[in-house]
Amino acid sequence: MSGMAGPAGRGGQVALHLGLILACAAILLPILWVTRVAVVPASMSYSPGVLPDLSSENFDALFSGRFPRSYLNSLLVAGGSVMLAMPFAVTLGYAFARFGTGGPGARFAVLATQMLPPVALVLPAFAILRTAGLTDNLAGLILVYATLNLPFLTWIMMGFFKGIPVELEWAALSDGATAWQAFRIVVLPTALPGMAAAGVLGFILSWNEFLFALVLSGPRTATIPVALAGLQTSNGVEIGTVAAGVVLAVLPLIVASRFIQRFIVEGLTFGAVK
Amino acid sequence: MARITLDKVSRLYGSGSVGVHEVSLDVADGEFLILLGPSGCGKSTTLRMIAGLEETTSGRIHIGGRDVTDLRPRDRNLAVVFQSYALYPTMTVRANIGFGLKMRGMPTAEIAQRVDQAAHLLGLFPYLDRKPAALSGGQRQRVALGRAIVREPEAFLLDEPLSNLDAQLRAEMRAELVRLHRSLGRTILHVTHDQVEAMTMGDRICILRGGRVEQVGAPLEVYANPSNMFVARFLASPPMNFLPARLVAVDGLSLDLAPGLLWPVPATHLAAWAGHAGSAVMLGLRPEDVHSQGAPGRIPLDLQVTAVEALGPETIVTGFLSAAPGLPPLRVRLGRGRLPLLGQTLDLHADLLPAHLFDRVTEAVIPRPRLDATP
Repeated sequence: MSGMAGPAGRGGQVALHLGLILACAAILLPILWVTRVAVVPASMSYSPGVLPDLSSENFDALFSGRFPRSYLNSLLVAGGSVMLAMPFAVTLGYAFARFGTGGPGARFAVLATQMLPPVALVLPAFAILRTAGLTDNLAGLILVYATLNLPFLTWIMMGFFKGIPVELEWAALSDGATAWQAFRIVVLPTALPGMAAAGVLGFILSWNEFLFALVLSGPRTATIPVALAGLQTSNGVEIGTVAAGVVLAVLPLIVASRFIQRFIVEGLTFGAVK
Repeated sequence: MARITLDKVSRLYGSGSVGVHEVSLDVADGEFLILLGPSGCGKSTTLRMIAGLEETTSGRIHIGGRDVTDLRPRDRNLAVVFQSYALYPTMTVRANIGFGLKMRGMPTAEIAQRVDQAAHLLGLFPYLDRKPAALSGGQRQRVALGRAIVREPEAFLLDEPLSNLDAQLRAEMRAELVRLHRSLGRTILHVTHDQVEAMTMGDRICILRGGRVEQVGAPLEVYANPSNMFVARFLASPPMNFLPARLVAVDGLSLDLAPGLLWPVPATHLAAWAGHAGSAVMLGLRPEDVHSQGAPGRIPLDLQVTAVEALGPETIVTGFLSAAPGLPPLRVRLGRGRLPLLGQTLDLHADLLPAHLFDRVTEAVIPRPRLDATP
């Protein structure tokens, strides 16, 4: 580190920081720009200047429409699908990790479903939901998202369970626990950070999903991505309103990523067992 | 009563590989038995089969006269301590120690009382409300022991419980385990690959290799009378020296080590070894049986020094016999007063009385009269 104090080191430091500033700008500018468009009057969306004026008009327009309903729909669908998928992902992941159930073939078969392009699945999904009377229905979307995310969540959980030493279960078994008790009382609490991380990832995936939501939902059940897309009208894109919607849509993701960071770090400190 | 009996117990894996092959073992009630062997010898697998954590492919396991082969771990009433300690990371020390009692449905008040007792015994009282992550290695080890003790099981199964500790702590815990064994009087099976643990802790040692029992006996008995070259090599550090030789009928009976290098066999061993005259043998000579001082019956030899390890209390010297440089190098144990230089030739004396002869093909020992240690 001491070399960095020299003149040559200082030049390198300046170059490094310039590079970092550019990289940050590339990531942050679009977000900052969207935020700016959201908080200035709609008429000034394309006008020059950083903040020519402040106005809540875009948010007012958003809230007068169907957006609040879509926001609630997204929360219900993303949250519901995770809660529906998690018990399956946890038990499947555990079976794969601990008992190698079905052999490597089964594990990859589960993952293979993830490799199909979503377009190939959306029509069958529509046909099934229509037969079941679940189109334009939040329950239908929850069911589909849970199904779509299950393989991914299963693999994440499998990884976390593999990181838990089998001796923990052996200890519980010889301490008098049944296999189910060992799983429920010892393994599950240890895997909690992993479950939180997987849950948040699943939530984000469902939150951002557009294609299935577009095909399977109606005006009453539209999620945020569909609602925002709906703002592209014959009069052009209502860019100010879209920007306001994007700002609100990103908020839960920022909160979620804070969580996931903490839990993933916790998940990696299983070393505490040794 | 917790006598543990293994009757031709085997563990085969799906791939066809053998983990443990027809191991028969009888551990007396209250005995401290060491399962010793290199990694992969099946000692931990044997322990897990006794605990019910590993399936027994064939053979029967009895604990206290009861056939437990097909019982679940929880129905065997054994306590297991693992090398990694396997403390429940989400529970406090108190909950960890009390877990087994809770699983057996003991009333909360009684659990608390027993946990406190065990914590006092092991010096864990100040840490009862901590999580395992906030404990040192030695403290975690004690929690694992506490978790085992508090259940008052029929027997303790310890799977290399000391190998994650530093040298000083390990020495302390060795003594503590022996003390615990005396005060609890329960059967203990202790798996280790450490010869010091094996020699100092157990009533008997069972040495395993490749899933088979090589020898069972009291530590000093096995040390003094190894049944084959593997046991002789494994049960000491530095290990026994092996010099290939031929038993010839010269001067009664001699060991022909190299052209012109004949070592006479001690008179006491003549009768036992005479039948093997003419056969190719391996002379097993422990490093402590080569001395600086000459004495009647000792065989003088010149050792050309190639390596010196000064350990403090003693110096381990490696070198070649000047008279037969083609033989494998010899390691000898000298007092701390000697610190030879590399390349120097030492004037030493081998005592063949405690030495062993092994069949060079089967590696089995060729018996000789027993030498008993005197108090």
